[in-house]
Amino acid sequence: MQTLALYAGFGLVTASILCIGAIGFTMQFGISNLFNLAFGATMTAAAYMTYLCNAAGLDIWVALLLGSVGGAVLSYIVNRGLYSPFRRRTPSLFAMIMVTLGVGLIIQYGIEAIWGATDLSYTMSTGRSLHLAGMVLTTVQAIVIAIAVGAAVTVHSLLRYTRVGKAMRAVAVNERLARNCGIPVRLVVDGAWLLSGALAGVAGVVLVMDVQVLNSNSGSDFFILIVAAAVLGGIGSPYGAMLGSLVIGLVAEVSAGFLNPEFKDVTSFVILVVVLLLRPTGVIGSVASAKEVAR
Amino acid sequence: MTHRCRDTRRWRAGAATSHLLVGVCLLGTVLWGANAGVAAGSGKGTLTVAMDVAFTGPTAIDGIAEAAGCYPAVRVINQSGGVLGHKIACSVVDTRGDPSDAIPATQKMLATTSTLVGVLGPESGTATAVVPLITKAHLPMISQDGLSLFDHTTNRYFWRNYPADDVGGVALAYWAHHEGLNRAALFFDNSVAAQSSVPGLLRTYKHLGGKVLLNLKVSPDSTSYGSEVHKVLQSKAQVVFTETDPQTDATALKNLIEQGNLIPIYGTNATVIPTWLRDVTKAIGKADMSKYYRGVEPYAPTYPATKIFNKALLASAKQVATTKTWIGQEYATTPFDGVIMLALAMTEAHTTNPAVFNKDILSVTAPGKGKKVVYSYAAGVKALKSGKKIQYIGASGPTLFNKWHNAFGEFGVYRYVNGNLKLAGVISAAQLTKAESGAG
Repeated sequence: MQTLALYAGFGLVTASILCIGAIGFTMQFGISNLFNLAFGATMTAAAYMTYLCNAAGLDIWVALLLGSVGGAVLSYIVNRGLYSPFRRRTPSLFAMIMVTLGVGLIIQYGIEAIWGATDLSYTMSTGRSLHLAGMVLTTVQAIVIAIAVGAAVTVHSLLRYTRVGKAMRAVAVNERLARNCGIPVRLVVDGAWLLSGALAGVAGVVLVMDVQVLNSNSGSDFFILIVAAAVLGGIGSPYGAMLGSLVIGLVAEVSAGFLNPEFKDVTSFVILVVVLLLRPTGVIGSVASAKEVAR
Repeated sequence: MTHRCRDTRRWRAGAATSHLLVGVCLLGTVLWGANAGVAAGSGKGTLTVAMDVAFTGPTAIDGIAEAAGCYPAVRVINQSGGVLGHKIACSVVDTRGDPSDAIPATQKMLATTSTLVGVLGPESGTATAVVPLITKAHLPMISQDGLSLFDHTTNRYFWRNYPADDVGGVALAYWAHHEGLNRAALFFDNSVAAQSSVPGLLRTYKHLGGKVLLNLKVSPDSTSYGSEVHKVLQSKAQVVFTETDPQTDATALKNLIEQGNLIPIYGTNATVIPTWLRDVTKAIGKADMSKYYRGVEPYAPTYPATKIFNKALLASAKQVATTKTWIGQEYATTPFDGVIMLALAMTEAHTTNPAVFNKDILSVTAPGKGKKVVYSYAAGVKALKSGKKIQYIGASGPTLFNKWHNAFGEFGVYRYVNGNLKLAGVISAAQLTKAESGAG
């Protein structure tokens, strides 16, 4: 039992990083109906912005804030400057996916061209080890979990209790109807991209803080797990993303502990496939399925 | 009617263009063929050595190492008058370390570079896919790949002047036994390159009386290896043998510290590289790195050619990233020697035709009675022109190819103290052979 708690602790850290990223990713899909394959590259870009601030002497936590702002601005610019014009011309889902893939590669290889194919790391301390309920975590990991919980609560409160959140939900379900009801759709979409970009930024930075190494592949390598978490929970649903992250993170670590670690990711994806067989819209596939109903 | 006529005219124009294209292609082929067999001392055209390895992607360090060897070598050769009157240059063929990228990149290189005289590479991740293509083109390849698959190759164009990974595994097992560490856990990633060290390591450690308690094969670049590390600690291993990319070991060893205990960490030559050492030191701290880490890699003391290499390397700072980190490094000195060997072989054979001078690579490196030992390209050319046979001893030391075109010598065991590698011991080739066969 103690061993299970220990493994669950490690899984919780992975789940937390996943959760921050998956909420951002799924919000983008929910609001814009866009499967943004450049999300991982945005994470990487924000992590590099944080590196620049940190290398200039800023404390890592201040640099994290600036990195998240950088992620928000980058997402906003990419959506306004590229995705929106493309979407107006090419409504095809497949074409848009290819555009996002291209943007992701431009960002990733652009970073590699500037910084080279070398690893970097932040100047920071991971803090002392904390022993909590059988789990062993560093101070930084505990803070990462707290950030994830904070992000989940904030997004939940925003969507549930604010006018902006209600507007976002309305746009997610039916953009045209929302516009006819007087909702400033463009502003709402901009807000959603800023928020999701900020979450991408935070996810990228805490990922690097946890693994200690930053390179041009950092976000893209992790992105596949973010997609898995978002799809498992129900793509378009922030609550689904939270649940999906928890399942993927915990299953990966616990299976690595009790089974062969080579099957760490395999186990997570087997669960994803089984869940999708039983529930094609994911565990909480409300937005995606509601969109289908609205059509 | 008019419409049909216009169509016919267009077809005729198309046919004429096609004929012209075919003609140009044939002419190109004839010219290429003529160039491939260019006579000695024709003095025309720059010869090309292709670096067919990863320059981007997770194993991009391979490309940087090849560049750190190739550019200084061509500098030295060109400063000494080139090869048979030709200048020589390095060209980049980026495989990204992945066969699916390596095959088209190599095919493009072969189709578009008519002045190719040899290849540096391929690396472990792409060798099985790329070697047949280069062989078919009759080009000698000087590889630093680690695949044990090529230990007994009969491919006459394949030359490896760097020990296979399984030899590194043997060295690790030998040194752990030598230090009295006889219970081990393995932490290797699931890449072809890393896994090729494992069979030799397991076999030798067992021969020497060691016990492998845990053999973990992990997926690289996870956010946590907490569960895997917990297993290692539970196994009560005295030493962890490892080979992963820098990020994976940095994360795993940080997890090891978080759970309270570091134990000796013995890494293959893939850990004795600047990025691995830097990332892991950052994760576990200088003091623990100095105390617990040991890495093995082929060992070569400073030879006269090493000084030539170092000087040329420092002068090649524009083409080589992190220049100073490659000073005297085997990863860079072996490709350096590879290019010099190719140039000397061409000089000895009086031709730049790769299919002809390929056999001379053995001739210019093997020891022999009456041969003049040379330590530089210039000295080699001078001796060859005066009709003597030579043995080139390069920046990485003597290159003694066996009948399978593989060459390896001693291994050094290194500590990492305050950002510098310090030699902790040397394992001779004889000790390695004995250990592997169980006689050690």
